Amino acid sequence: MKKITYIILFLAFLSSKGFAQEIQFDKQASVDQGYLKSQESANLLPMNELNVETGYALYLAEINLSVENPMLSLENVRDYAVVFLDDKLQGTLADQHKQLALKAGPGKHKLQIYVENIGRITYGPEILDNSRGLFGSITLGKDEIEDWMITPIKIKNLEVSKLIFEQRKSSSLPCFFKAEVNLSQPSAYYLDISGWGMGEVWVNGTYVGAYWEEEKQQSIQIPSEALKAGQNEIVVFELKNLEQKNMKLSKQAVFR
Amino acid sequence: MNTIKTYYKLLLTAFTLLSFFTANSQTQTVDLTGKWRFQTDVMDFRRGSLSPRYNHELQGEIQLPGITDDYQIGYKVPYKYIDRLTRKYEYLGPAWYQRDFEIPQAWKGKQIFIYFERTSWLSSIYVDTKEVSKNDYVSVPHNHNLTAFLKPGKTHRITVCIDNRFQYNTHKWDHAHTEFTQINWNGILGEMKMIAVDPVYIEDLQVYPNISEQSIDVKMDLANPTGKPISGSIKFNVAGKNYKLDKVMKVSGKDSLIHFEGKISLGKQIKLWDEFQPNLYTLSCKLSSDVEGARFEHEKTATFGMREVKQGKNHVLINNKPVHLRGNVENAVFPKTGYAPVKEDEWERIMQLMKKYGLNHLRFHSWCPPDAAFRMADKYGIYFQVEMPMWGRDAEPDEARYNFFRREMIAILKEYGNHPSFVLYCNGNEITGNFDFIEELTAKGRLRDNRHLFCGSTARTRVKSDQFYVSQQTNKGPVKVYEGLPYTNWDVSQQSDVDVPVISHESGQRAVYPNFEEIKKYANSPVEARNFEVFRELLEKNGMLDQANDFFKASGALTVVEYKAVVEALLRSGKSAGFQLLSINDFPGQGYASVGILDPFWDSKGLISPEKWREFCGPTVALLRYAKSAYFNDEVFQGDAELYNFSPSGLKNAKIKWLLKDESGKMIKQGGLKTQTLGTDGVFPMGKFTFDLKDIKKAEKLTVSVVVNDTIKNNWNIWVYPRNENLLTTTADVLYTTVFDDQAKQKLAAGGKVVLTPFPEQVQGRKSIFHNHFWNPIMFAWPPMTIGCLIHKEEPVFADFITANHTDWQWWDILNNAKVIEMKDAQQALRPFIQVIDANDKNEKLGIGFEALVGKGKLLVLAVDTKKDMDKRPATRQLLKSIDTYVKGDQFNPKVTVDERFIQSFMVKQFENKP
Repeated sequence: MKKITYIILFLAFLSSKGFAQEIQFDKQASVDQGYLKSQESANLLPMNELNVETGYALYLAEINLSVENPMLSLENVRDYAVVFLDDKLQGTLADQHKQLALKAGPGKHKLQIYVENIGRITYGPEILDNSRGLFGSITLGKDEIEDWMITPIKIKNLEVSKLIFEQRKSSSLPCFFKAEVNLSQPSAYYLDISGWGMGEVWVNGTYVGAYWEEEKQQSIQIPSEALKAGQNEIVVFELKNLEQKNMKLSKQAVFR
Repeated sequence: MNTIKTYYKLLLTAFTLLSFFTANSQTQTVDLTGKWRFQTDVMDFRRGSLSPRYNHELQGEIQLPGITDDYQIGYKVPYKYIDRLTRKYEYLGPAWYQRDFEIPQAWKGKQIFIYFERTSWLSSIYVDTKEVSKNDYVSVPHNHNLTAFLKPGKTHRITVCIDNRFQYNTHKWDHAHTEFTQINWNGILGEMKMIAVDPVYIEDLQVYPNISEQSIDVKMDLANPTGKPISGSIKFNVAGKNYKLDKVMKVSGKDSLIHFEGKISLGKQIKLWDEFQPNLYTLSCKLSSDVEGARFEHEKTATFGMREVKQGKNHVLINNKPVHLRGNVENAVFPKTGYAPVKEDEWERIMQLMKKYGLNHLRFHSWCPPDAAFRMADKYGIYFQVEMPMWGRDAEPDEARYNFFRREMIAILKEYGNHPSFVLYCNGNEITGNFDFIEELTAKGRLRDNRHLFCGSTARTRVKSDQFYVSQQTNKGPVKVYEGLPYTNWDVSQQSDVDVPVISHESGQRAVYPNFEEIKKYANSPVEARNFEVFRELLEKNGMLDQANDFFKASGALTVVEYKAVVEALLRSGKSAGFQLLSINDFPGQGYASVGILDPFWDSKGLISPEKWREFCGPTVALLRYAKSAYFNDEVFQGDAELYNFSPSGLKNAKIKWLLKDESGKMIKQGGLKTQTLGTDGVFPMGKFTFDLKDIKKAEKLTVSVVVNDTIKNNWNIWVYPRNENLLTTTADVLYTTVFDDQAKQKLAAGGKVVLTPFPEQVQGRKSIFHNHFWNPIMFAWPPMTIGCLIHKEEPVFADFITANHTDWQWWDILNNAKVIEMKDAQQALRPFIQVIDANDKNEKLGIGFEALVGKGKLLVLAVDTKKDMDKRPATRQLLKSIDTYVKGDQFNPKVTVDERFIQSFMVKQFENKP
C-alpha cells in the first residue's frame, strides 16, 4: 500500500475513535472585570462578613520584608488559596498545608491571595465553625500582616459575554481565556482539561462546569445542546496554571 | 450443681434428637437458639486468661439470639446524651457465650459448621480449651468450619467470644456499628445453627439472569475436601408462580474447590422482575456425587429475579428501561431493638411503607442490611444501594483496614448478590483519603459481578470505574436540593448531566421540632430519648411547655411544604437519575435530626397522609412550573404543566385539565389542555395555561390543580392580594414609626397607639430565614438556628391576612426581610403573634411580631423591612394592611405590659448626638 493510503486509513481510524480536537485559547480578559465592591480591614475577614456565601475573593496587602524568603503562615484557609507576590505565582495553600516560603528579597511587595470557597464544613472537628475564606492570623515570619483590601469576585454567575477580551499575552494573575472552535456538527463531548489548574468553564455563554487538577476526573461533559454548528466560544477562568494554551474535545470522559 | 448438669444433659439429648427430625437429605441442622452460659469480660486483661483454657463453666446465663442490652448487662448509663438517644446499658468489650454439645455419631465424615446470622464484630470460637476459628465480617453471617475440631460422638464445650470493639480503625459514625442510630451492640442475632453436610457440598451458588436469552447462568463453587475425584450430577429446579422447570447437569472434578458453570434456558413464560412486577423464582440445586463408592448429597437454593441493570446516559436502566430512583436514606435507625431487624416482619412493614409513600429506592448509608431486608425488597420491588462500613477518612492508608474492606466487599457481593433488589453498590459515604484504593475496589467489584452498578464514594471524588454517582454536586454545579423556593420554574437537570447517572444526595433534611410525646415510646427499648427530656425541661423553664405540640405541628407542616418542593424540583429534573431523601424517618444521632415525617420507629407523625404525599412523590406525578406564589390581583398567573412519568407505560390520549379553587373548595376557574399521548420514562410537557387574577377582589389563598385522566392530581397554593396602596399612614390615633424615639415614647406615654416597624439592621438578633433549620441545630450551628414559625392565626391582627398556623410560601417575602427578636426578657405571658421557634437545644422565646402595653400606650412591633422593594412584596403589603385595620379598630387591646427598656434591649444602640 502507498503511504497516502496509510494516512487515509490512519485519519479514518482517528475519526472513528473520536480523535480529540485541540482548542487553542488565544484571547484573555483580566480578572478585575469580575471584582465587586472592596472592603478595607485591619485583619483578615472571612468571606461571610463580605456577604459572600461561596465563591471567590481576593485578599490584597502591601508587605515590607526585612528578610529574604520569609515563611507565609495562615491560620485558616477555606478552601483553597493561590498566592501571588508582585503578580508572580508563589504557590497554593489549603487546609492540609497552610505554610509557604515566599521567594522575595527585602523591600516592599504586593501580596495577592486569590481564595475559593466551595461550601460549608459538614464533617470533623471544625464542624461548628461556619467561616469561609481566610480568617484568623496570617503572618510573615513572626509578623502579623495587616491592612487588607478584600474584594469578592463574581465568577460563577458572571455574564462572560460581557467580558472584554484582548489578544493573549503573558499573564501571571488569574485570568479568563477564550477560544473559538469550529464544529461541523454539534454532538456531546468531554472537555479535557488535563494540565490546567483550577477553574470554571463556559460554552457559548452557558456555564458548564468546574475543574481541579487534583481530582481524578479531568474532563467536563459538554452536552450537544450547548454546542452549535460553526463557531463555538469557550471561556475558561483559570486560577493558577496560567501558561496553559490548549484544551481538547474528547469523546470519552478523562480520568487520571 | 447436679440439677444444672442433669438439665444440660436433658437439653443435649433434646438437641441430638432434634437434629434428626430436621435432617434435610443428608444435611443435618441443630438449632442453637435458646439458653447459653454467659460471662462478661470488661477488662479483657488477656484474651484466654478467662475460662476456656481451663474448660471452665461460665456461671451466668443469657438467651440467644439477643444482645447484652436485652439483659441490662454492662454500664448503667447515668447521663443524658444531647446529641443522640441514650443507651440504657452500654457494653463494649469481649463477652463470652458457652454451651456444651454432643456431636452425633452419625456426623462422622461430615463437614460441621457453626453459623451465626449476625454478630458484631469479631466472633471467635473455642472448642473445649482451644480457640479454633475467628471471623470479623460486619455485613454478612459468620460461618465457622469446625470439622477439624469436633469429634462425632463426643461432647464438646463450645465457647464463643463476641468482641464488639472496633476491630479496625474505621469511622465511629459508620451506621454498621455506630452508637448514633442503632447501637454498637454485643450479641448474636438471627439464625444460629450447627450444620453438618456431606463432604462434597455447594459452597457458593450465584445466578446471573440473561433477559434477552431468557436464561440464567449458574455459577457454583463445589467444595471437595475429600481429596479424591468426584463425579455426579446437579438436579436443578426452577420454581415460581405458575412456573416449574427441571434440568440435570453432569459434574466432575478432583480439586478441593470445583468451579461449575451451566446455562439454564427458562423459556418464554419466564417473567421479568422490576418494581412494578417483582416476579421471583427459586432455583434449587441438588448435588449428588460419588466419591470412590460413597454417595454424597447437598442441596442449596437461591431466590432470583429476571432482571438486568445497566448504566444509561442519565438513568439507571432496569431491564433496559430507565428508572428514576425515588429514594430514602436508611441509616440503621432501629431504636426499638437497638439493632437492625433480622426477621422479615419489620422489613416487610418498611417496604410496604416505602410503596405507600411512593418510593422505590433505599440507600443503606455506610452499612449493609441483613438478608431479610433484601428478601422483602425482592418481594415488594424496591431498589437497594448497599455500602460497607466506610465513611470519611476510612480510605486513608492503613493496610489492615484496606484488607478488611477488600474482604468485606467480596463477602457482600457473594452473600447478597442473587437478590434482584441489590441494584447499586457503593463503597461508603463521603470518603476521603487514597482514591486509588477506592478505584481498586470499584474496578474489582465491576469486574466480578455485572448484576449491580458500582460507585466509588458518595459525594466525593469521582473515580474512573464509577457507573453512577450520588452527590450534592457534580463538576457542573450543585445537584443537591435541600429546600424549596416560592417558585417552581427551576430544576437541577443541567448539573446532573455528566458521564454517569447522577443521584441527588441526602435531599431535604429540614428539621421538625421534637415531638416530646415520643419519649414514652422508648419504655421497652435499649435506648431512651433523654435528650428530649432536656429539651422539654428547657422549654418548661422558658414558660412555653404548653406550646410544645404547636411547635412540633407548625415546624412539621413547614417541613412538609419544603419536602413537596424538594421532591418536585427533583422530579422536574429529567436528566437526574433520582434522589435519596434524608429522610422520611427521623435520624436519632449527630445531634438528633428530627427531619422525618415518620418518627425513628417508622410511625407516622401525623403531618401528612401517604395519599397526599403520593400526589407529589410516585411513579406518575403532575408537575407545574410557575414564577411565583404571591400575586397582586392585577397580575396574570402563568403555569407550565408537565408530567413526570416513570410508570410502566405511557398515557394514551390523556385528558388534562387545570382547576382554580378558593379556600372553601369552590371552583373559580378551570380549563383544559390539549388531549395528548404522553410517554413514559421521562418528564413530558403538557402545555401552558394562564388565568387573569383581576376578579379576585380581596386577599385570597387559592389552589391550582393539574389533573390528568381524573386519577393523577397535584395541587399548589398561590396567594392573591390587592395592591393595598396606602399603608403605614400615621393618623391622630396611630403613629407609624421605624425608630423607637421620643415621639414614639411620648405617644405611648399619652396612651396612644404606636406601630414600630424597625429596619432589620436596627434590630439585634438572628436574621430571619424562611426555611427551618438544616439537619439539626446541634451538629450544624449555623443560621438560621430557628425551626420555622408558629403563627397565632386566631389573633385579630390576622383578620385580613389568610394564613395557617404555620408558614407557607406566602410568608417568603415577609420572613426573608425580617429580624428575629429575642424576647426572653419580656414577661412569660407575652406571646408574639409571629412566634419564631427556637433551636430545640435553646428553646428561648423569639418573635418577629408582637403587641404589648407600654405604660398606658399600645404598641405593636413588627421587625420586618417595610421600605425595600415594596412593589414586589404583595404579602408584606397585605400583612401591613391587616395590621393597619387592626390597630385602627377597637380590637387592639394588648394584655401584657413591657417597659421601654425591653424595647430598647433589642434595638441596635444608637449614639445620640447631644451637644
